[in-house]
Parts: sequence; C-alpha cells; structure tokens
Amino acid sequence: MKIAVMQFPGTNCEFETLVAVKTVGMDGELFRWNRSAGELSGFDGFVIPGGFSYQDRLRAGVIASKEPVMNALKEEAIKGKPIIGICNGFQILVESGLLPGSVNGSGKVDMALAQNVMVSQGKIVRRGYYCDWVNLRHDAPSKRCSASFIIERGALLKVPIAHGEGNLVTTTPGLIEKLNEESQVVFRYCDKNGRIINEFPFNVNGSTESIAAICNEQGNVLGMMPHPERAFFAWQLPAFDPRKQRPDEPGPGRRVFQSMKRYIEVNA
Amino acid sequence: MKIIGLSDPEVEASLRNAGIGMSVAEARSIAEVLGRDPTLTELFCYDAMWSEHCSYKSSRATLKEFLPTDGPNVVMGPVEDSGIVAIDERWCVVISHESHNHPSQILPNEGAATGIGGIVRDVNCMGATVIATADPLRFGNPYGSKASKVRWVAEGVVDGIWQYGNALGVPNMGGDIVFNDSFDDNCLVNVVSIGIVQRDQIIRSRAPPLAGERGYDVILIGKPTDASGLGGVTFASEALREEDEETNRGAVQIPDPFLKNVLFKANADLFSLTREEGIEIGFKDLGGGGFTCATSEMGSAGGFGMEINLDDMHKADDFPAEVLSIAETQERFLIVSPPELREKILKIYNEDWDLPNVYEGARASVVGKINTGDRFTVSYKGEIVCDVPIQHLTQGIRYQREEKERIISLAEPEMPEPEDYNEVLLKILSSPNIASREHVYRYYDTEVMGNAVIRPGEADAGLIAPVRGEKFGVALAVDSNPFYGRISPYWGGATAVAEAMRNVAAIGAVPSTLTDCLNYGNPEKPEAFWEFREGVKGLAESCKKLYLKGYEDQQLPVPIVSGNVSFYNESPQGSVDPSPVVACVGIMKDFSKAITMELKAAGDKLFLIGPRFDELGGSEYYRTILGVTGANVPIVRFDLERNMIYAVIDAIEEGLLAAAHDISNGGLAASVAEMALTRPAKFGVELDLDNVQGSDNGMRTDKILFSESSGFVLEAKPGKEARLVELLKSYNLEPMLIGKVSNKRRIVMSRAGNAVADLELDGARNAWTTGLAEAMR
Repeated sequence: MKIAVMQFPGTNCEFETLVAVKTVGMDGELFRWNRSAGELSGFDGFVIPGGFSYQDRLRAGVIASKEPVMNALKEEAIKGKPIIGICNGFQILVESGLLPGSVNGSGKVDMALAQNVMVSQGKIVRRGYYCDWVNLRHDAPSKRCSASFIIERGALLKVPIAHGEGNLVTTTPGLIEKLNEESQVVFRYCDKNGRIINEFPFNVNGSTESIAAICNEQGNVLGMMPHPERAFFAWQLPAFDPRKQRPDEPGPGRRVFQSMKRYIEVNA
Repeated sequence: MKIIGLSDPEVEASLRNAGIGMSVAEARSIAEVLGRDPTLTELFCYDAMWSEHCSYKSSRATLKEFLPTDGPNVVMGPVEDSGIVAIDERWCVVISHESHNHPSQILPNEGAATGIGGIVRDVNCMGATVIATADPLRFGNPYGSKASKVRWVAEGVVDGIWQYGNALGVPNMGGDIVFNDSFDDNCLVNVVSIGIVQRDQIIRSRAPPLAGERGYDVILIGKPTDASGLGGVTFASEALREEDEETNRGAVQIPDPFLKNVLFKANADLFSLTREEGIEIGFKDLGGGGFTCATSEMGSAGGFGMEINLDDMHKADDFPAEVLSIAETQERFLIVSPPELREKILKIYNEDWDLPNVYEGARASVVGKINTGDRFTVSYKGEIVCDVPIQHLTQGIRYQREEKERIISLAEPEMPEPEDYNEVLLKILSSPNIASREHVYRYYDTEVMGNAVIRPGEADAGLIAPVRGEKFGVALAVDSNPFYGRISPYWGGATAVAEAMRNVAAIGAVPSTLTDCLNYGNPEKPEAFWEFREGVKGLAESCKKLYLKGYEDQQLPVPIVSGNVSFYNESPQGSVDPSPVVACVGIMKDFSKAITMELKAAGDKLFLIGPRFDELGGSEYYRTILGVTGANVPIVRFDLERNMIYAVIDAIEEGLLAAAHDISNGGLAASVAEMALTRPAKFGVELDLDNVQGSDNGMRTDKILFSESSGFVLEAKPGKEARLVELLKSYNLEPMLIGKVSNKRRIVMSRAGNAVADLELDGARNAWTTGLAEAMR
C-alpha cells in the first residue's frame, strides 16, 4: 500500500505526515513537486500536507493547484483513490476544484478558505493566524469518506489547528445545503461535549456552519483544516487532556490515517 | 582610498563620506599592515569584520574573564555559530541566541523576521535539524508617552516572528515579553533557536583539513546577493538616532522563509551526501558581515587562505564589489568542499531542489578556491579588489574599555498596606507584564513538526520530544528582568540565570546549558560598560554556584555555550535597562514524566518552598500599585536556590508532584493565581498565609504576597505528601504547607483566619487573559 506524501516548495508538515502514514502500516514516500507526474499512478493514496506552498502567493494553495502533479492527482481521484488534504493541502484541493467536487461536475472552484475572522457575541474579536487545539465532531456516517472511514458519526476528535485562512466560504447558491444533504461535511468544530456553537472560540475561524472538513461526492477526497498528524500520539495532547498521561497510546488524529488504510483495503 | 599622508580630519571625512564607520586609527593601522592605501572594498570588509557586532572588540576580554564555557556535557563551546551539548551518547542539542534589536526598532516586521531567519541558519549550519525557536522581547511602555510607536513596534515584531517561523515550519516554544519605558526608543528582539544533531554528524564552520592543499571549492548557495542589509553590523554597532531612521532602513535585511524552507531540505540532502561519501566539508551561514565574514572566517578557521572571484557569484544586479562583499542578503549559506563533490552538490541545489525556479536568481555557484596561502584575495571584473592577510581581517581588534559605577538613587517606599487586596491582585493579574501571553502565542505555530509536549502557557518552560522512538525531551526557557537590572546589574544577571534554571526545573528537566544575549548601552561610556561587566559577573556567579546537576560533588558550573553581545542599545533619551537575556536548555531523560503548572485535582495540597524576603525592589507590586522602583532587589541565595531547583527536579522524577510553578514576577500571589487560571481553570485555591515563613515574625501581608524572592509552589500528588516533605527536607528546605486546591471556583487567601483576598475565578481569568491584548492593540 503505497502512499505519496506530496511536497511543494514551502510545504512544512511532510515529515510528521510521513511518520503518521508509516506508523499505521502503509508505505509512505515523499513526492517532490518536480518529479514526473506520471509516477503518481503507481501510488494507492495521497496526502497533501500543510505548509505555505509557494509562499501563499496570490492566495493560499492557488499556485500549487496549477502544478502538473495536481492534474495527475485529478486523474487518480477519478479512479477512486483516496486523497487527504490537510490545512494548506485542503486549500490546494479547493483551488484545484477537487473539492467540493463541484455542483455541476464542471471542476470549477466553488468555495474558498478565506481569512479567519473570530466572532464572539456579534463582535470580531480577532483575525488571522491562530494556533490551538480544537474539538471536532464527525458529522458524516462512517464509511462515507475515505479519511474517516472507521469513525462513527458523532465521534469527537481533539486535534490542533494552525492557519490564517481556514474560514470556509462560498457564494455558490445551494452548495452548503447540498454538502449537508450528501453528508459531505465530514468534521465540524464543536465544544468538548460535541455541541456546535457557531462562534469563537468554538468555531475557531468563522467557518460557515463551523465546517472544518469536507469530502467530495464520491467520498474519496477529503480536505480538513485541522492537523490529525499532530495529534497522532497521546503525549502530543494539551496538558489538560487526561489522555496525555498515557503517553504510549495513539492520539485522536491517528484514526484519520487508519481510516485511509482501511478504505484502501476495502476498495482493493 | 587615500589614507597615507592625509591628516586625521581628512581621513575622517573620506571614511564618513564613503559610509564607513571605523575610526581613523583603525583605518591607519590597516594601511600600515597592508603597506599601502587600502581599496574601498578592503575598508568595507574590515569595517564589517572589525565592527563590535562581528569582533566583540569591547566585550571579549570580559566574557573570557568570567564566563564558564566548558563542562563534561559540552561538545562545542562558543567558538562557532552555535554551541552544542550532549543529551546522551548519541544525540546533542545545538543552541544559538542573538539579538536583532536595531533592525526591529526601525522596521519591526522585517527586523524580527530576519532575526528568526538568522538564528535558525546558525543552528542548521552545524548539520542540525532545527527543532524550536524562542523569542525574548522587550518593548517600551504601551501606556507611556510613546505608546503608539511602542505598540506599532510590538505588533510588527510579533507579526514578523510568526510569519517567518510558521512559514518555515519551526515551532516557537517559549519566549517572554516585558514592557518598560527604557525600551521606548530601542526595543529588544532576542531570538533563540535550538536544533538536534547526532554527535558524529556535526558539521564545522571551517575549511576542513587539507582543504588548501587540495584546492577545495568555495560554493555560495541561496538567494542572489543584492544590496539589502548593507552595513547591518555597523548599524548594529551604533546608538539609534531618529534622524537616521530613513538611511538605517537600508541596513535592515529582507526575510524569505519560503526560500529558507526549501534550502533547509536541500541542506539535509547535502548533509546526507557528505555522510554517504564520508567526506568532511565546511558549512556556514551568511549573517552579519555577509559574504566577506562567512568566507574569510571559514578560511581563517582552517588556517588557509582563499581566492574569491565575484564574477562567479550569482547576484541580483551588477553591484559594486564592496556591496557584494558585505551586503547581508538573507537565505544564503557557504560550503567549502572538495572538487570531487562539486557536481553532486550543484545538482542538489540547482536541479533536485530547483532553486532557480523556486526563487528568481537563487542557486548554488562555485565562487572561489581555498589555498595554502595566508591571504584573502577577491577579484572582480579583472581587478583585485581585496588582498589582505586573512588572519588580520578575521581576528579583529580589542579594546579595553573603561568602567565606572552608575550611581542611581534608590529608596524603599513607605506606604500603608492596601485596604482591598482583591483590587490589587486584579490589577497585577491584568498588568501587561503579568497577564497571560496567550494573545501572542496563539499566533505562533507551536505544533508544527509534531514534537510539542509542553507548549507556551502550559508551564514555565516549553518541552519537545524531537526524535521518535527516543524518550528524551528538550526543555527551553528564557528570562531576564530589566527592573532588577536597573537597580543592580549584577543581581539582574544572577537572577536571570537562576530563574531560567528554575523554569526548566519546574517541568522536571535538568538545566544543561545556558546562552546569554547581553543587551546594554554604548560601551564607550564607562557606566554602560560597568553595567555590562556587572551583568556578566552576575551570570557567571550563578552558573558557577548553582552547579551542573549530576556533577555537584565536583562543583562544576552550568556551561554557557553560546551567546551574543549587543551594545549601543540606546537613543539620545538614554540606554535600555541592563538586560542580560538568558536561555536555558534542560534535558529530561523521559519526557512523559514532565509536569505542567495548572492545578490538577481538588483536595491536593499546595506546598511552598523558598521563604519570602523583604526584597520587592523592581517588583510588579511596587511598580504597578505604588508606582515606585524600590531598592531591595531580589538576590540569589545560591545554596537555597540550588537546593530548590534540585529538589523539584527529583520530586518530579520520583512522581510526587501534580503541578509546579516557580515564583517570579508578581510573587507568590501571582504564581498561585496563574496555577488556578491556566486552562482548564477548573479549580480554585484556598491559601493560608499563616504558614508562610516570614509571616510568623510579622511580615506584612503585601510583602508576603508580592515579594519576588525565588521559590516554587508545588501541588503534591495525593498520598505523596509525606514523601515530598521528606525529600524537600533532605535538601535542607523547609516545606511550607500553604493550602489546597478547592472545588470552589475562587482564589481565597487568608491570614489569621480572615480572608485577605477572595476572587471569583472567572473574573480573575478575564483580567489575566485580556491584559496583554489591550496593551498591544
């Protein structure tokens, strides 16, 4: 089971992502942007890790989305292979039209991850970059999406975020309704009990309906702003989480990578 | 440039007209050694290399006289860009610490960003993986007469730090911020970086043995050289004057974390190449003094000469030789390597990592050769623009500066005890110097790399687990209190070391090494030089008397393996408060034993170690509540301090503690409150001040609560209290049972049966979490 961890100039989470991929028992390999795109067909799945590809020039993710390797990934996505985009990887998937996978099948860009705007009690309390641990609620049924394949609906995951542009917005009419109806909203930001409270600090970046992750119609492509690879071991959790005291245990984010593996096994 | 035969005023005039900062005497001594008039390029090269920043000409003798730099764990002391200490037989920590004060005052964003950019290069060039940064920052008074400028600087600096570090992908694991009006016109932006390297994979910043005989290549990699950062080291070696602000902007470098991110990965491939081939190379970053500094120091450190051809350098434009020689263009490194590796090295940078397509004009170029001579020779466009004795250029000069005690008038205030301690405590908790740092550290990516175990805000030090499969953790903390330094530069230095060591001990790590970034005024003024010498003496005394744990029987000092001296931190309004900023690296054998500072469970007993003394000079209480500085500065009682630090480390190792927090700014009251207010902020505390040593002989309540005498507040694990007391006593400490963690969400402090303070937790948390944001908005 070969997974390509994509590497663009400015990517900065590829090493811990590679650790995550390998630790759950998949063969992982870094795939540099200037390698021949044709080689990608030899892989069973793909992760586009976080970072600042091409320095976020123009817009986060937009330049990487035009790379030849992204065209090759589109072809792999059509074959049903799993692709996970994390943080900047999510931004790249949106900019390349792989997510939300388009309403009309046109492959056009239907949404954006705009600058974080933290709103509390009707007031903007902060903008821009923010790093903290957040709670996520899994809002899709299990098996709906490659990267949450083994996660039950309603399950809670504590993982960190670290981004300046994770505020999911769209002007495409009906898109959010469609994502909800088709269970394409995979994770939402919530409080520690799983309640969705659509304001800061629970909705940490102002994202529409507290959306943290979505998948495409087929469910094989997922984009998420939070970083499951940084919540891969229990010892990485914040001090106040009781699981931190059991350092040998897996962290909550590991289930995303285990899901990917299971998805590949089931679809093989 | 003509020097020989001209009068002093004439030489002075031509130096200044050319933009060269050196003295006439220095210029004459150069002409004398060369036996001719120096070229313009030569003068610029000497000016950079002999600047205070590069040559430590005023400070070197003092540093050598006092600071301990060696020890059983030292792998490399302060000889190259970073110091190195051993973690175990295999792994080492690499650390470097610098200032970027003047650039950050002029252009806060770029200045601070290039500070981070420079310090991570220093660590990377030792062959290390950079694993963390830290940022001790000092800004002016956000509520003073220069508030808007101060806030502009503060905001820009924080932005520059996060924008660079986050994009590069290195977590910021610690730092501190102090606001104080002595920094109104001269902020301090100190930056610390640590890395990790295997002992047998360290790369030196020198031309390797036989490099001259075999004609090794000199290869420049990275961004094309431009005119940015021109004269940066000279600018760092003068006082700041507002009228020069416009011209000084040109001396600030331009950051590019994106290019650095790619360079670091290419460098990792370079390091593997040298390991695979079994060939030693020299590797160095280009920082202060630019190309000249990096090349000449590499050659000189290997005992060789070199020939450089600037025609072969990749550059952004057709700049004159003196600009190419000393511009401080960022994101560059220098390699000295054998010719047989040339094609492989060029391929790594120019093809595999495709630098020319990542950044316009960036690449790796062979720019010269090492030889067995003793000259530093540079040619450009068919002319020899520089031909000087290489050792003469790199050894710099020394000055014996005069020192004279700065006399300031100090007095202890006479005041009644406050009537309302709730109000006093809330005011202290919301003070910009005490309030939660959350507003700032949420900008910092603390999670990238996935190594964070304890992050900013969770404890007194940050902790990282940098190697999967290894149990050790690396702790990092920074400290320096300018208010103490103002009263006593000596105790300012000594307490900085003690507190930084307490900080890493509070999570359970053993202090392993220190770095010092010494920020002072103009050393040509005897009072400023005296402050510097006192500070160094204080630092050294703490290092020597607190001992390296594990070697206390031999009374070995904690070594200082890296550092930086930053003079000329002054404006016409005066110099900054003496600020010897210290970073401490601590090592934990098993990172899973580390503890944090938030209260863990209701009913747990709270112990205090460290008696309260009447030493509130420079304290938060005196300054914020009474508006005075005071005179009785906290001192370090070395035996007591060492016993406390060692006992806390042992107690954590033995699993006796649920939480620990050191006592510093804001005293016992602030420390206890912080333990209750730190997330998840579920519990309150009930404190009984009657059991605090000092209260029995009638010490005033305000002094008990707010004295910043060193100490720790410890939350014992239930059932471990007796063993904890026993352990503390074995270190000759007198543990004071001062209260317990409570289920009521209140902070209650009582004396003689009466509550002197009783704060509701959410209100206190609101004060504590908003104070910094309000000061920086």
